[in-house]
Order: sequence, then C-alpha cells, then structure tokens
Amino acid sequence: MTPSSRWSAGRILLLIGRLALAVVFLAAAYGKLRPQSAVPWSLASLKITPASLGLSMTFFAMQVDSYQLLPPRAVSPFAHALPWIELALGVLLLAGFALRYVSLASTLLLALFYAVVIRSYALGLTINCGCFGPNEKLDAWTLVRDGLLFALGIAVTIAAFIVHRRSHPALNSHPEQAMQP
Amino acid sequence: MNRTSLRILALCAAAASLLFVFALSVPSATAQTPADWNRLSAEKSLGSPNAPIKIDVFSDYECPACDRFYEGTLRPLIDDYVASGKVYLVHHDFPLPMHKYSREAARWANAAARIGHFEAVDRALYDNQGAWTENGTLDGSMEKFVQAALTPAEFKRVERLMQGCISDSHQEIKGCAVDAEIQHDIAAGQLIPVTQTPTFIVSAHGQSYPPAAGVISWPLMKQFLDKLLGQK
Repeated sequence: MTPSSRWSAGRILLLIGRLALAVVFLAAAYGKLRPQSAVPWSLASLKITPASLGLSMTFFAMQVDSYQLLPPRAVSPFAHALPWIELALGVLLLAGFALRYVSLASTLLLALFYAVVIRSYALGLTINCGCFGPNEKLDAWTLVRDGLLFALGIAVTIAAFIVHRRSHPALNSHPEQAMQP
Repeated sequence: MNRTSLRILALCAAAASLLFVFALSVPSATAQTPADWNRLSAEKSLGSPNAPIKIDVFSDYECPACDRFYEGTLRPLIDDYVASGKVYLVHHDFPLPMHKYSREAARWANAAARIGHFEAVDRALYDNQGAWTENGTLDGSMEKFVQAALTPAEFKRVERLMQGCISDSHQEIKGCAVDAEIQHDIAAGQLIPVTQTPTFIVSAHGQSYPPAAGVISWPLMKQFLDKLLGQK
C-alpha cells in the first residue's frame, strides 16, 4: 500500500466512522422525541407532532430520573435539552462541519453516557436505559454497546485531528519549514 | 475504486448502522393492550375505573426499589390523584424468585384483596418491609403486620383464605386459593414483558405508554400526569 492509498483509506474510514456516529446520535434523538407508544414502531408512534413532543420529553425525564443521579429540579431541564443536543451533534457530524470539535464534543458526551451506565449497572439499578427510546433494559449488553460507541467516538476524534493536521501542514510546522516547496 | 463508489459505500455503511441501531432499540415483544388487563383482579385496584389515567404497577413486596417507589411516589399519587379521581391505580404482583418471601407477601395481599382490604395490607407490607424480609412468616413477623392492618374479624377471614398458602415457595401451590391470581399477574407481566420491578405502564386517552421501570420521583411522575391530563 502506497502512502497515498493509505491516506485515502484513512479518510474513507473517517467518513464511515463519522457517518456511523451521526446515525447513532440521530437515532438516539429521534427515539426520545418521537411519540412514546406501548406498541413500538406503529405508524402513530413515528410521526412527531408539537403535542406529542412535550409528552415524549416529559416521559424521557422520568427515565432520566430513574438513574437517581440528578436532583428532581435538574432532571427536567436536562431531559428537555439532551435530545436536541444529540440531534445537533448528529446533523453536524453528518455535514462534517467543524469535525474536530464536533467529534470531540460527541466523544465527551459518549464518555458521560458510558460512565453513567457503568455506575447504574454497578449499583444494580433495575431501570430502562432510555438511550434510544423507551423499554430498553439497562443490562450488560448496554455496557458493551456504549463502550463500543465510546471507542468509535475516540477513533473518529483522533482521525479527525490527524486528517486536519495532514491536510494543513503549514499550520503545524515552523514557518521556515512551511515555506519549503 | 473511484470517489463516487466510495461515497456510496460509506452511505451504505451509514444505512446499515442505522438499521443496527434501530434493531437494538426495538423491544423483543410488543406490549399488551390495556383491554387485556381488565380481566385481571379489580380487587387490587385503587380509585375509579372511569379515571382519565390508568396506571398498572408490577411490583414485588420484597424489592427495595419497589418499597422506595411505593413510599415516595405511589403514596402521594394515591393520596392526591387517585383520591381525586384522576388516576386509576392497578397493582399487579410480580414476585421475583431472588426474593425469598416476596410470593408469600403477595399471597397475604391477595387474600386481603379478596375481602376488599387490599390497600391496608399493601401499605402494611411496604411500611414494614425491612422488618419481615429477614424471616418472612417463619417468626410470624409478616403475619403480625397484616394482622395489625386489619380488624380481628377481617384477619380471621384472611387467615381462612391463607390456609394452605403459607410457604416461601415461588411455585404455584395447588391448594392455595389466592395463588392463581398471582400467577395471572406474572403471566400478564411476562407478556409485556416485565423484566424488572417496579415497572409501571400509564394509559390515557385510549393509548398506552411504554413500560417505565425503576424508582421515579413523585415530582417527575406528577409532571407527566399533569401533561396527560392537560391533553385533549
């Protein structure tokens, strides 16, 4: 493999990783914002309306509360903000805008989720994860999945910084080196 | 491979991961409709069946989280929203095998429900959970709290119903009059599926919400119920 083909393979992997991460955040946001129904993925449960939105976010607030991590007063603002943050990160990752910073923010959020899930599992809390919507039990598989997503976030962030550095060598070298042909 | 095919490949990978994420988030079975639960024991329900909101709670008398949920959330709910006719609360027994005396406690509660005194015994069992979880009925502690919650005549009737039911076994006892009701609740819970306690399902305006599990504090639960009540 020549250095140039290695370089394009790296860029492709970054693209795939970035899109995968975007999909994860978009799915997580949609799972929280869509109408919450006992019958998952029924037609009525797919369409988001203003009336269903408030109810979905309040329902999500109950799931956040079940983690017993935040005081009741802080649960509601956090639960109402999180799906929109996930949506914004998903859209920005999809667009590839300010990739280094967006992927770093995504990884920090994934690290927070991972830490919270580990804590809840260690405490033996029998709760739903609420990660991609309702009725999703928090178990050992949740730990594995969140760990993998966190690892993906780290990989994308590192790759985004490397690609940026290689694409802009002048920014990372001494002025006299940058001027060399 | 040119740039376009690489992009297509990347989009396919994104679509595949989207499907993967959705597959992870879809529960393994669909929830039961509230109509199926109507045939379950109405004796273990509180409030008016005509209330705009119905809450089905699956719990285990020996589970510490169920105790916290009962004391911190269900008590204010009963005193406020159930008493004012806004919520119809239905209790379902879901004794977990890991809790030695939970089924025995459920038998006492069901026996009391048969004579129309479920609420008093339900409350007594949770209020004194810490005191009877050590020995169940071995030292008569569970029985003592049930007795204290009822009049002597009522307790006699409950005792009669409990004949052949005193056992820490989680298996259904053939001669026990109240075991079939517990079994019915467990079967209903497994269909949903309930995998943890406490689990509750809220229904309103002809729609059921997904099962919520764990200890939800009263202010958050109230917020959700108020939103539901405000909906037309």
